[in-house]
Amino acid sequence: MSGATTPRRPRLLPHQRARLLPTVVLLIGAFYALVPVAWIVVAATKSNAELFSTFTFRPGSGLFDNLGDLFAYGDGQFVRWAANSLLYAGLGALLCTVISTMAGYAFAKYEFPGRTGLFYAVLAGVLLPGMTLAIPQYLIMTKTDLVGSYWSVLLPGLISPFGIYLARVYADASVPDSTIESARLDGASEYRVLTSIGLPMMFPGMVTIFMLQFVGSWNNFLLPFIMLSDEDRYPINLGLYTLLAKGSGEPALYGIAIVGTAVSVVPLICLLLFLQRFWRLDMISGGLKG
Amino acid sequence: MTSTTPAADPAPPPRAPRRRATRAPFVLLAPALALFAAFVLIPIGYALFLSTQGLRIVDEGVFGIRDEVFVGLANYTQVLGDADFRAGFGRLALYGLIAVPLTLGLALLFALLLDNASSRARRFSRVAIFLPYAVPGVVASLMWGFMYLPSTSPFSHLTERLGLGGIPFLDGGAIYPSLANIAVWGGVGFNMIIIYTSLRGIPGELYDAARIDGCGEWRIAWRIKIPLVAPALVITGLFALIGTIQVYGEPTMLSPMTSEISQTWVPLMRIYRDGFVRDDLPLAAAGSVILAVGTLLVSLALLRVTQRRAFGGVR
Amino acid sequence: MADRQRTRRRLPAALVGAALLLAGCFGGPAGDDVVTLDYWCWSQGQAEKVAAFNAAHPGIRVRHTDAGGGTDTATKLLTASRAGNAPDIACVEYPTVPAMVVSDVLRDIAPYTAEVTDAFSPEIWRMTRFEGEVYGVPQDIGPMVLLYHRARFEELGLAVPATWEEFAEVAEQVRERDPDSHLATFAPAEFGNFAGLAQQAGAAWWSVEDRRWTVGIDDGPTLRVAAYWQDLIDRDLVRPEPLLTPEWNARLNRGEVLTWPSALWAPGVIHGIAEGQAGDWAIAPLPHWEGEGPEVALQGGTALTVTKNSEHPREAAEFAMWMNTAPEAVELQIASGQYPACRSGQETAAHSPPPPLTGEQADYWEVAAFAADHTVPSISWGPNVSTAADAYNDAVSAAVRDGTPLPDALRDVHRTVLDDMTRVGFDVTD
Repeated sequence: MSGATTPRRPRLLPHQRARLLPTVVLLIGAFYALVPVAWIVVAATKSNAELFSTFTFRPGSGLFDNLGDLFAYGDGQFVRWAANSLLYAGLGALLCTVISTMAGYAFAKYEFPGRTGLFYAVLAGVLLPGMTLAIPQYLIMTKTDLVGSYWSVLLPGLISPFGIYLARVYADASVPDSTIESARLDGASEYRVLTSIGLPMMFPGMVTIFMLQFVGSWNNFLLPFIMLSDEDRYPINLGLYTLLAKGSGEPALYGIAIVGTAVSVVPLICLLLFLQRFWRLDMISGGLKG
Repeated sequence: MTSTTPAADPAPPPRAPRRRATRAPFVLLAPALALFAAFVLIPIGYALFLSTQGLRIVDEGVFGIRDEVFVGLANYTQVLGDADFRAGFGRLALYGLIAVPLTLGLALLFALLLDNASSRARRFSRVAIFLPYAVPGVVASLMWGFMYLPSTSPFSHLTERLGLGGIPFLDGGAIYPSLANIAVWGGVGFNMIIIYTSLRGIPGELYDAARIDGCGEWRIAWRIKIPLVAPALVITGLFALIGTIQVYGEPTMLSPMTSEISQTWVPLMRIYRDGFVRDDLPLAAAGSVILAVGTLLVSLALLRVTQRRAFGGVR
Repeated sequence: MADRQRTRRRLPAALVGAALLLAGCFGGPAGDDVVTLDYWCWSQGQAEKVAAFNAAHPGIRVRHTDAGGGTDTATKLLTASRAGNAPDIACVEYPTVPAMVVSDVLRDIAPYTAEVTDAFSPEIWRMTRFEGEVYGVPQDIGPMVLLYHRARFEELGLAVPATWEEFAEVAEQVRERDPDSHLATFAPAEFGNFAGLAQQAGAAWWSVEDRRWTVGIDDGPTLRVAAYWQDLIDRDLVRPEPLLTPEWNARLNRGEVLTWPSALWAPGVIHGIAEGQAGDWAIAPLPHWEGEGPEVALQGGTALTVTKNSEHPREAAEFAMWMNTAPEAVELQIASGQYPACRSGQETAAHSPPPPLTGEQADYWEVAAFAADHTVPSISWGPNVSTAADAYNDAVSAAVRDGTPLPDALRDVHRTVLDDMTRVGFDVTD
């Protein structure tokens, strides 16, 4: 293990000796993760002709043209897609977090008939692939005339069995029963107990649920692909896919799709970097610490 | 029971007594349960019903038109009897056998290295390895697709310079590792963070004791850390598995670039094709039911094998 | 209801082709009286055409949506139709029209289309008119031609092949003179292209009479064409790979793709990928089989169809006709690079400048008109073309990959299509 170190330095402490190899492995991992991101940024600077004719990592001359084309495409459709994604992922994840937190808190902090059975139903929902539900959900939406509307993508995203499961784990772990009891003895209503004790204590958990759900919706491709037909209602990834699909008949769109990808990835990366300090991902593995 | 009486369980549970029936839990659960019914239970029920229907020609119009009639289990025999659908599960299994262990193995490796005090550049590496999680799968497939194609691939460019010829990422069996790589790239960071946060929760005294006994870092990792994060590994494994069964976007995006990937390459692609390209939703419903049941069975089997460590903490 | 009747009274007059522009003068209804139509189409230049229509028809307002390319639009149209919210008018590729009829998506607009009967040739009408029922107004067509890289042909001293036999000889010469290049690509997932080549040789993949279908995807001409391309692949004279991938595009940019046997829309596609080659290309008649006539099939092309969901079929039909026959619309169509389906449009096209990719070719439109005038008269498509298309794409991709014979792949496709039609309940013979 320490064979890779230099022999010139005598008497290294054990933790110093192992330094090089782990660092190198980590940096290889970081490089692996960053190469495609670097590619998309470089590719965004290329004109269509350069895209197919110059070496992949050589920056091109078309960045501003591409950006101009992107924002001009379909009368600013890209901005609309971004706004839609924000609506589906942002508003959807926010509501989903509230709903999941309420349900998880109820499962964790109350005894009521049917609690175990309902919770097992939710657990089964965790194991059911969301994608296999997309087609049945589509069928229900056609029956209720919601297909093609904003609701058809937003509503299915509000229920997350995994979110409920996580909320229960967080409530179990971070809201002590004794605190709740003393608040009740002081005469606080159930509503006040939840809002002034439960929610603040669960906040880091809620951020985690929000983040997971946000990324899940942001990435969700099949559901909007099935539900929507009006391009003005597309989320950003579906819009980019459409550009690419059209790109094979109309390759000028490749450049737009690629610069659009670069533009859409950057804010999400910033959001993740900002929110990661609030994460409680350790809780995902359940009762580990309970 | 009034809402001010503290609950007193007859058999004391391990933690403080829980609150007994008030209206509150039902109010709190109502939205979740309503949505669960509307977007999980009812769709499942409707899919079951629809899977017994079939679209058959009735006399109307110039060619006849297709109409829904009851066909019993004909859709199931059709789907299960199709060698290509079964082969799709085989391709899925091969893909999963590469993607899942690699994702978890690399995630564990990086998490251990991040937790290792002697590593440098930890903050940078953690953020960098986690970044791909922010890139939608469809977009990731596109980026990797460009990097696989011989004439735009930087890797093939390099090997050609070295006189080794291009790397056939998209030909023959290479398609499996190439596709799995996209999943690994997108999934390692997230799983790494889960395992890493679990590692951080382990009390440091445990290591100190081991170090005094003369254990090296790798022995500590192997003997202490990995067993303690086993629940995290099980749950990340479970999600990697469910993610594998749902794979759709990545092969769909790559399929125009190579003739290796058919329209029915994995089960979900076939279900989509049946339902939307061939306009046979009942057949797609039957396929969805089979896939969902299969996933449940595999997940339950995994949980049983690992002795339900993952959900063990919640009764 | 009152609105509807008023519109009806107003419209018969407006339906007369030349008088279309006058429609606005009949009453000029305000706000509430305007009939709003939704229209899906993905091809270029639609926004301008729709704007022109709206300007000329104050009583109708058409909202244009681009719902994705041909396959995606067809998929979404089926979906939306089942949900009851399909657009009033949709652009559909010719091969998909019968499937849309069988899925009960389209409406028979024969009652409204009498005055445009002579605007299109009978061969074109075959695509959308079945036993007197009209399921769409033809928009554009893609008569097949050979698009070739003239500069590279000159550089390598090659002659443009007139027959498929010559095509194979030229393919050999290319390999001898420039080992990096191939005369053509054999794209395994190009169902429409192969269908066109087979139809040129005399294949009849589907035919129908009194609801009795005959399927012939394994007929003699089809297998002959399959064997021909198999031979070229075996001898490394054409390169088997998917088209229009970044990989193929890069090869094209390097000048390693010398021809694309496809259709009149192809110059626009190549121009989009390799702008630098503008002026270097030209079109020639598609090679024919020795001893046979110069007739070619159509590859691609679309019709504007009216859906059953539409509450305003009359106005929708009026729109579909105006878009594809009004001189103003046809001029915009040609400017966007489409080859019109209507006779008058084809005449107008003949006086236009050639597309930029073939900008140096003086006789471009003559070659185009020749192809359009010599189309195979008996093309008809089946009710499950999408099944055939993906069975074809998968079977042929597998054959190219595994090195198994193409004719066998076509036999598999035939079997799949036949089984599917039998299962759904069509009266079908082998």
